[in-house]
This record gives sequence, C-alpha cells and structure tokens, in this order.
Amino acid sequence: MDDFVATYGPLLISMLLGAMLGLSLYLPLMAGQLSLASPGFYALGGYIAAILSTQAFKTDAALFPVPLLLVEMAIAGVVCGVLGVLVGIPALRLSGIYLAIATIAFVEILRILSLNLEITGGAVGIFGIPQPFDSAIEYLWIVLPLLGLSMVFVYRLENIRVGRALSAIREDELAADAMGINPTHYKVLAFTLGAILAGMVGAISAHFLNTWNARQGTFDASIIYLTFVLIGGSRTYLGPVVGGMVFTALPEILRAAGDTPGLPLWLGQLLKDGRLIIFGLLIVLGTIFFPQGLVRPGVLKRRAKGGRTS
Amino acid sequence: MIAEQGTIPVLEAQSLTRRFGGLVAVNDVSFSVNSGEIFGLIGPNGAGKTTLFNVVTGLIPASGGHLLFNGEALLRQRPHQIAAKGIARTFQNIRLFGALSALENVMIAQHVHTRSGVLKGVLGLPPAPQEEKAIRAKATELLELVGLGDRTSEQAKNFSYGDQRRLEIARALALNPKVLLLDEPAAGMNPNEKHQLSDFIRDLRDRFSLTILLIEHHVPLVMGLCDRIAVLDFGQLIALGEPDRVRTDPAVIAAYLGNE
Repeated sequence: MDDFVATYGPLLISMLLGAMLGLSLYLPLMAGQLSLASPGFYALGGYIAAILSTQAFKTDAALFPVPLLLVEMAIAGVVCGVLGVLVGIPALRLSGIYLAIATIAFVEILRILSLNLEITGGAVGIFGIPQPFDSAIEYLWIVLPLLGLSMVFVYRLENIRVGRALSAIREDELAADAMGINPTHYKVLAFTLGAILAGMVGAISAHFLNTWNARQGTFDASIIYLTFVLIGGSRTYLGPVVGGMVFTALPEILRAAGDTPGLPLWLGQLLKDGRLIIFGLLIVLGTIFFPQGLVRPGVLKRRAKGGRTS
Repeated sequence: MIAEQGTIPVLEAQSLTRRFGGLVAVNDVSFSVNSGEIFGLIGPNGAGKTTLFNVVTGLIPASGGHLLFNGEALLRQRPHQIAAKGIARTFQNIRLFGALSALENVMIAQHVHTRSGVLKGVLGLPPAPQEEKAIRAKATELLELVGLGDRTSEQAKNFSYGDQRRLEIARALALNPKVLLLDEPAAGMNPNEKHQLSDFIRDLRDRFSLTILLIEHHVPLVMGLCDRIAVLDFGQLIALGEPDRVRTDPAVIAAYLGNE
C-alpha cells in the first residue's frame, strides 16, 4: 500500500489538479466563449506562490506552513481575478476562433515576460519552492477540498440565475441580449471565474512541483486543457472533471504501454513522447464523433431516470 | 377607437433612418404608437419591417432620427437595456435557446426582474431561493397560457414550428413588457391556428395591458386585428391609418400590385 501511494500519489494529485484546470476552461465555455487563457493564469498563480514562498514568506520550519499556502492561493486568486477582468473586457469583444487566438497571445505574452524578467528567474525559473507536506499524497488535504468546492460551485452555478444567463448567451447571444441579459458582463464574469480557479491551482502546483518556470504556461498546455473539456464533455461540469483526470493519467499509461516488449520501435516512441499528437487526434475524432464530449447531461439524466423507475 | 386624441404615445419614431451602405432600409419613417394599441406593420418583402424592429430593440443602430419610449430616448441604448425598460420581442426566424428546456427559456427572460448574483445563488442565500421559486412559478404559468403547460421540460429545439412561436411569445411575456413586438407570429400556422391567433393576441393585450406592434404578411389577419396599420415600401412609410383606410389607399394597392 505504501509503495502504491508513493508511486501513484503524485499522479493522483496531478489528476485532481487537471480536473480543476479543465473546470477553469469550462467556466468561460458555459457562456460559449472558447478561451485558452487558463495556462496563463495558472502560470501567473504559480509564480506568485513561488516568489512569495521563496522570498517573502521565508521560514526556518522544516515544512512550509499550510496557512501561508492558503494565503498564497488567495493572493493568486485575487491577482488573476483582477487581471481576468482587465484582459476579459477587451478580449471578449472577440468571439469564436478570434477569442481563442487572442487568449493564446495572452498566454504567450506572459510566457515571454516570465522568460525575461528577473523576479521570475528568467529561463531557469524558480527552484526549491518549500514543501508544506512530507509526501506528495498529503497534498490531498488541499487539493481535494478545493476540487470539491469548485465542483459544487460549478454544479450550483449551472442551476441558478447567473448560470442560466451564461447558457442563454452560449445558445444565442443576440436573443439573450434582447431578453435583458448583458452579454459582456456575463462573459467577463465567466472568464474571470475561470482565471481565479486557474490561478489558485497554479499556486498549489508551484509547491507540488517544487520548481516553476516558463514551461508551465505554454500553448501546449492550452491544447491539453482544451482536450480535457472537449473530450471529457463541454455541457456538464462533470465532463472537464472526468476529462482532466483521464487525460492527465493517459500519458503515464501510454508511457507504460510504450515499454511493452515486442512493440515496433516507432510505436513505442509515439506512445511515450507523442502525447500532443495523440491529443490532437483525439480532439479531431472527438469533435466528429462526440461533439459534446463523452460525459453529456443527457446520459446522466437517462441514468438517473432509469434508476428511479427500476 | 383606442387611438383617441390626447393619449400619450408609448413609442414614437421621428424620421427614423437606417442605411446599409447605399441601401436605405428604413427611410425617414415617423409614426407613434398609442398605449394599448395593436399596431400593424405591413409591406412587401424587403420593405424594411424587420429592420425597423431591430432598430427599435437596439439590435442594430439607427443611422439617423429619434426614437422615444414614454418620452425617453432609446437610440444608442444596448438591447438588454431596452429590454429592461419593457420592450420585448419575438423573432421572424425564431431564436430560442434551443438546447435548454421550455421552462428555462421562459425563466431566463425574467433575468431583469431578479437580482441574486453568483455568491448568493451558489450558496442559496436570500433572495435567491425565493426568486427561483417565483420565476419558476411564473414561467409555468406563462407556458400554460400559450398551451405548452405539459411540455415544460422538453428542449426548445424539439418543438414544432408553431409551438416554437408560442414559446417565443411566452418568453417575451416573461420580461413583463409594456410593448410587445411580434415578428410574423402567424408564419407557419394553419388557417385555423391563424384565426385563433387573433383572439389570442387581443387577449394578451387586455390581460397584460400591452401595446403590441406586429409584422404580418397574412393580410386578413392584420386587417381584422390591428387598430392601425403602417405600410412600408422600400423603407418608406407610404400609408398609416385604420385598416379600412389603408386597404383602399392607392399607394398601398400600387405597392402590392405594382403600378398600372
């Protein structure tokens, strides 16, 4: 059991973090806005935690105090929220693919900045970020409640006034506008909520990964998070949660599969290193065969009804 | 009969104009609609009727002129602001929230009459639960009124054409409007349904004290239903008055049948 936890603990934490990153992309998508900005806010949140914990919150204790980690998460959330509003107001004037491109540009700007600024450690990044726990699995104390809260939050959001306004904008922005819903307000709101969540996840990840650099917020990451949502499901909060967990674990599974004896060399290599190729293929195939993703609201409802009648 | 002298116009257009490049879709149109009136807007295809609706609801900006709602300037306001003031509409080419249920469609249109934000909504703090209950009840009531009371949880896109039009009316009514704009409400209905529609629209006017503007191609329906009719042709207002006068107006006959 201890062996199992030691081997798979880090993977489990990564999966839960992936689920939240999926949710952070799902939030703007609730209003129909395809934003790929999450990695940018994730990277920013991570830098905030990394800088604070290695410079401002220096302690002599063996373990970094958890309350300080919570403070970092709060600061990361607030900063990313404010930046989300500032970026969201101009960016959300764009729609569809143009918004996606603008948000990729945003992620890229943050990446270039972090590569060149002194405070972010340039290309080397920030090392030796203190650990609040003895082992990776103990991160569950932070990650599990945050995932639980964000799932409940999004689940509730889907069933209240604000969430219905978001769905209305997703379905038909012009009609929503004519029914008294301010589209800009709600699009920026959804975008900002996603930014806050991504920032908080980044703050945890910086500690969890021990080191933080410009490779955390890249276009690659945008595509990976997009896979979480598009293949997991874009019409219910469970989609990105399941997608985030499965597609965080998948590269590890593929890596193991790549080592299977008797496999042709190229196939082994593809399974080990070709995760972006595989994810790209999955996005293409998924959008053709499962346009709403694997986890769909209809599937769940039908299950629930079947359960009640039988 | 209702357009008596001394009534204040609810909606007043003064030299309203909308150009699309060289095309003048709405050309210097002036009219006023009185409180409680059913006001018809007719004209051949491409006359600018829907464009006029779009200008009134703020979906497209006017190029010139003035538009007053209870004496207050409407132009340059965003569509959601105009909706919040009490002008609701349906769409010629039906624009429901297709993937959402009929009930949700009607609940969404009560947005401006509710206040609860993200935090109160998510935590279920007052006034969110009370609001939720109230708008659900009102949505159910409105769906019953338009005859869709037993299909509240069905997705809007699965409704038949006529039922979608009914659902759009229920959704527009949920805004609690003072003025209701109906863009071709009878399109796709059979003669029997069209006949019932007249009574239904009159009933709506009385029940909700509405002022109704409607675009309609079915001439007998318009003539029988409307208190006054405006006729547009190539963006210009060519006739305005009671149905009997408009019917015999030479300009109207020429517009519909061609000159000579």
